[in-house]
Amino acid sequence: MPSSLRTFSLLQGRRLRSARNAVLAQTPWEWARNAAFIAMGLWMMEGMRWGFHRLLAYLDGVELIGGLLTWKLVAMALLTTFSMVVISSLVISLTTFFYASDLRWLVRVPAPSAAVFADKAAETVFYSSWMIVLAVLPLMAALMQVKGLGAAFLGAFAALLLPALVLATAGGMAFTLCLMAAFPSPRTRDVVWVLSSLGAASVYVFARAVEPERLIRPDALMRVAEYLSFLQAPTAPWAPSWWLTEGLSAWAGGRHALFWTRLAELYAAAGAASAALLALASRLYLQSYAGAQEGGRARRPIDIPETPEMRVRSRLAALFGSWAPSAATAALYWKERKTFVRDVKHWSQIVLIGALIMVYLLSIDRLPLDTPELKSLVCFLNIGVAGFVLASLGLRFTFPAVSLEGKSFWVVRSAPLGVAQLMRQKLLFSLPPTLAVATALVFVSNRLLGADRFVGTLTLVTIWMTACTLTAMGIGFGAMFPRFNVENIHQVESSAGGFVYMACSLAAVGFTLAAEAWPVKMHFDERLGRAGAWDWRAACVSAVLLLAVNAAAAGVPWVLGRRRLEAYEGD
Amino acid sequence: MIEVVGLSKRFGTHAAVSELSLRVEPGTIYGFLGPNGAGKTTTVKLLTGLLRPSAGRALVCGFDVVASAVEAKSRLGLVPDEPFVYPKLTGAEFLRLTGDLYGIPLATQRRRIPELLEMFELSHFAGELLETYSHGMRQKVVLASVILHEPKALLLDEPLVGLDPKSARMAKEIFRTMAARGCAIFMCTHVLEIAERICDRIGIILGGRLIAEGTLDELRRRGKGAALEDIFLELTGGVEYAELLKNL
Repeated sequence: MPSSLRTFSLLQGRRLRSARNAVLAQTPWEWARNAAFIAMGLWMMEGMRWGFHRLLAYLDGVELIGGLLTWKLVAMALLTTFSMVVISSLVISLTTFFYASDLRWLVRVPAPSAAVFADKAAETVFYSSWMIVLAVLPLMAALMQVKGLGAAFLGAFAALLLPALVLATAGGMAFTLCLMAAFPSPRTRDVVWVLSSLGAASVYVFARAVEPERLIRPDALMRVAEYLSFLQAPTAPWAPSWWLTEGLSAWAGGRHALFWTRLAELYAAAGAASAALLALASRLYLQSYAGAQEGGRARRPIDIPETPEMRVRSRLAALFGSWAPSAATAALYWKERKTFVRDVKHWSQIVLIGALIMVYLLSIDRLPLDTPELKSLVCFLNIGVAGFVLASLGLRFTFPAVSLEGKSFWVVRSAPLGVAQLMRQKLLFSLPPTLAVATALVFVSNRLLGADRFVGTLTLVTIWMTACTLTAMGIGFGAMFPRFNVENIHQVESSAGGFVYMACSLAAVGFTLAAEAWPVKMHFDERLGRAGAWDWRAACVSAVLLLAVNAAAAGVPWVLGRRRLEAYEGD
Repeated sequence: MIEVVGLSKRFGTHAAVSELSLRVEPGTIYGFLGPNGAGKTTTVKLLTGLLRPSAGRALVCGFDVVASAVEAKSRLGLVPDEPFVYPKLTGAEFLRLTGDLYGIPLATQRRRIPELLEMFELSHFAGELLETYSHGMRQKVVLASVILHEPKALLLDEPLVGLDPKSARMAKEIFRTMAARGCAIFMCTHVLEIAERICDRIGIILGGRLIAEGTLDELRRRGKGAALEDIFLELTGGVEYAELLKNL
């Protein structure tokens, strides 16, 4: 039997060869398309770098404490990055270690289990972190410029980042491994998975509820010394993200001994974590894998009742005739509901979204705003933030909806219904929760801040329209860039299509805000006592612009997606 | 009835199917044979509308599978080579979904679904998620779903792979019965024994082109009385394997 290291190298080699073959097999059109996506991605990253540069330059320029503020921000960004990688690895490792399509082959060939586990661990590290790393790169580039460092700084960052990512994912992988070993029964495992998510969400809400931002506002503190001591205190000193921050800070300050110490510490910790993980895997992995392949669902009697969807559909058909959704749409909706509810991975994400909404509203409630005008203005700008949250949720739930048909897509494709029906069903399924989240974010925020009637009504109507637009856009782009042969949902989210969806949805939110800016300005002019503030022609132009932007943002991807899915012939 | 006229499919410069023309009359089982990569599965996908033809057309009961896709599909049943089914549905729920998609009345579903599950010996597993089923069990569920909506034309792509001998025997009987009731059946298979036993007509495809077609007797006459296996190997060049075996 070959050694674990040699087998691991062979297994990694197959990934490299597959990637090379995929690149070489591309048609000129695919080359052009991918080049356009890469160019768009670089353009977005450059935009982020510009924004970070402005922010860091401002912070760095603050007298006395500028340097501390800059590193404090970097530490917070890296801590967030680290936490996101941990959460991603939790979800991704469940698929890569236990349900990946190549595992049946991998456990059959005479490969040492340690090599198979290491191969899957490397895959988990990559999928958990590559997109998050791309997002943090512009911050590092901006930091390099602001601090006047050379390109070697980015090399130092890369050297520090690699062990930090290994450490972040090792925690998630170890948790998943223990969970699968401890709970071979699928139902118990599902319950524990959801409870774990609830625990993580509770910690998140609690951490936010203690209001750490109070400390970075000098006016909220009694003494200057207290403020300075906060700035100098490490952000989560036990987390590898802080060691990374310290390493970067040491490099930037020319303290090379400290840099090498932090680098060595990170690699030693990553090495120790990897060794511990491998030791754990040697005891638990194959046993857990075997457990994961077993069934064990309770047997239920054959029951064929009329589904609630069909009942609703019958009532709607009695009221609206041919305008009501078709029976096939109702059947697909029922299928979607059943499969969604039974997938525990969705539940853990819903729990975390609940926590996110709570923290969001808590943050709104604690905003230090003095005047009613300022509060109303923040309510209006809140559309942008709520739109960003909806776009992020759309990327996770709406955009992958078509791709989640997976290899069973043939069932729908060979059935007597059109692609448009499938897309309509996906829209009907995604829209109500999106509208509910949109309403919670904006309506409750407006109540908390005491928005005036005009802004309250405008923001609520706008966020409902935005929710509809982003949902239709998500389904449209999902149909335009379907990926039916992926193993986990993150591969759909992090695809080129996901990137295009995110960019376009943010642009749509931005244009929506821009279209409403002029009427909102006129409203505030009126509130501040300016006579004849309203120019109704300008208001009408804004309204038309708003409708046009949203109609185009929803309609164009929808039509293009439908055409693309009708012509779909495989990944 | 299934009718294929000058059907071609190209993937870039590769012609997967070239100018294929054939006809499957109601009540007939048409066996479609060919070596791996000959174009059998591509043909099935073209007939179901999963792929779009580069040229030519395919008709199911007179409806073009591209221009009148919904009408054609409502009369068509498909058993693909890999029985991918929604893993988070139970066996009974999958049949329920198929019944609703094909507009089968609820009363009929209530009667037929338990019958079909019983027939395929799946009653005890009907309430379990499909992700826990074996390949053969999933294949049975797909077969049951096709029988549930009683198609006028049936496309089978290696339908007996993964089935135990008893189920395979039953499936063959089912295909015969469906054909006797007027269903046109188009079946891709590698198993020549099955083709010999149950097919009324046989077509052999190689490199995307139909190179031989006829009843078993017609093909035998052409092969001077040889068995179907010998005729198939003669036509597709499979006899050269003896040389290759020397390298074993």
